[in-house]
Amino acid sequence: MTSRTVEQSAIDRLKIAQKRRNRLYFYLVSIPLLALYGWFLWETEVSLFRLRRGLPWMADFLYRMVPPDFSVLQSALRGAFETFQIAVVGTTIAALLALPLGFLSARNVASPNIFYAVRSAINFFRSIDTMVYALLFVAAVGLGPFPGVLAVITYTTTILAKLYSEAIEDIDPGPVEAITATGATRLQVLRFGIIPQVLPLFVSYLLYRLETNIRAATILGFVGAGGVGFYIQTYLRMMNYPAASCILLVLVAMVMAVDFGSSRLRKRLI
Amino acid sequence: MIEVRDLTKIYPPDKLALDQVNLKVGAGEFVIILGRSGAGKSTLLRCLNRLVEPSGGEVFWDGMEVTATSREGLRKVRREIGMIFQQFNLVKRATVLENVLAGRLGYAGALKSLFGRFSVEDELLALECLEQVGLAGFSERRADTLSGGEQQRVAIARALAQRPRVILADEPTASLDPRLTQTIMDILKRINKEKDITLIVSQHQLEVAMEYAERIVGLRSGRVLYDGSVSDLGPEAIEAIYGGEEGRDDQSNSRTVGH
Repeated sequence: MTSRTVEQSAIDRLKIAQKRRNRLYFYLVSIPLLALYGWFLWETEVSLFRLRRGLPWMADFLYRMVPPDFSVLQSALRGAFETFQIAVVGTTIAALLALPLGFLSARNVASPNIFYAVRSAINFFRSIDTMVYALLFVAAVGLGPFPGVLAVITYTTTILAKLYSEAIEDIDPGPVEAITATGATRLQVLRFGIIPQVLPLFVSYLLYRLETNIRAATILGFVGAGGVGFYIQTYLRMMNYPAASCILLVLVAMVMAVDFGSSRLRKRLI
Repeated sequence: MIEVRDLTKIYPPDKLALDQVNLKVGAGEFVIILGRSGAGKSTLLRCLNRLVEPSGGEVFWDGMEVTATSREGLRKVRREIGMIFQQFNLVKRATVLENVLAGRLGYAGALKSLFGRFSVEDELLALECLEQVGLAGFSERRADTLSGGEQQRVAIARALAQRPRVILADEPTASLDPRLTQTIMDILKRINKEKDITLIVSQHQLEVAMEYAERIVGLRSGRVLYDGSVSDLGPEAIEAIYGGEEGRDDQSNSRTVGH
């Protein structure tokens, strides 16, 4: 009994010492981190004073945007529709290209060498954003929607391949085993054991990327890669704010419509 | 028909799952592989059709060495061996009929089947197999809308669609309640008797094994400790298969059986 209490108090003392040590570590790490964060704020010139001073200008900006100038509605609609087309064409082609890449970068399907090669390549190309690809493709193939489509394809392929491969790695291995046991070939196992499990997820990812790509494609026009971005940029440069606001309104309406439709579709899929 | 010689399986790094197993199963037999979980029953069944690659020893199918055959040869062996699983292993989003048709993949034309097309004969056979397990009229249902017992019957139909000569059943009733256990075991027994299909069933439940088996193979830590008829299975053999230090419950169980 006594020895037990002695033991217990020794344990308690150890626990308290541990707690003190943990607190020390906490301060040792958090104080330098806070200092670092303060330095970041300083360097990025974050200033509430400047924000307050800028408020009237922002108000003025908004004031000059109303009422929107609906005389440019036709070019707004044309531009928005082109953006929509870029996103649809780019996303669907990317969804197809991502299919083989997804399987080749899934740990449970591809052999290790292929898996590492394909996954590294995908990660490399995914670290560059759609907008940067747009700049490259405009330089390569010239102005217009085509470089925009290429940019959407490149980035979306990498991100869909990653999502696909994760879905494939998460499948239930049971049906795969059962289909293999029937004497099916590897392609048949893929077709009957794996695809039925992942297809609804794939379609859902595709729709989600379509939503994202419509937003991404609106600014492709800034670098001459087609779509509504060209008009936004032009009118802002010309300081024709009512026209710019008309285009923004069309844009908001389109994005909301597509988000609504696609999220309803996705809900039915899963 | 099936012969296993010195079959050994070591899972990396050093887990010995099967230790020099020797076994012969003839046509039309109904064999129950009995043992506690972890005894190596599943590994043994999966080594027979090489879902698990053995580390040593040989498996023969009609005198042909399965463990040495090519990929094409293995396909031909596999399509004659149906298999059912503890977790049913159906494709849940697919219909019942599609699941049963998967049993025909070993025979189907490669290209045609990749487009999901099967011959009329295959579809008729699949429907007939569903009828045999009492699921006529279920063919268009999605597999995941079925109960556990029904799913296992679909899995049996899938195995039957292979027109197999042997069916391997890996703990087919472990996920089912006692009443359904009876239903499934009855179906397996009927298949064995009426269609003359050899059945090798793994089981951890002694009572079920005693009720259905003709021959029992007792497995423990990857070794065959008993191989003989049910009537000869005495308390010592049961103690050897189930008893021991690892689980007190098992020990008391086997004592009850012994006295």
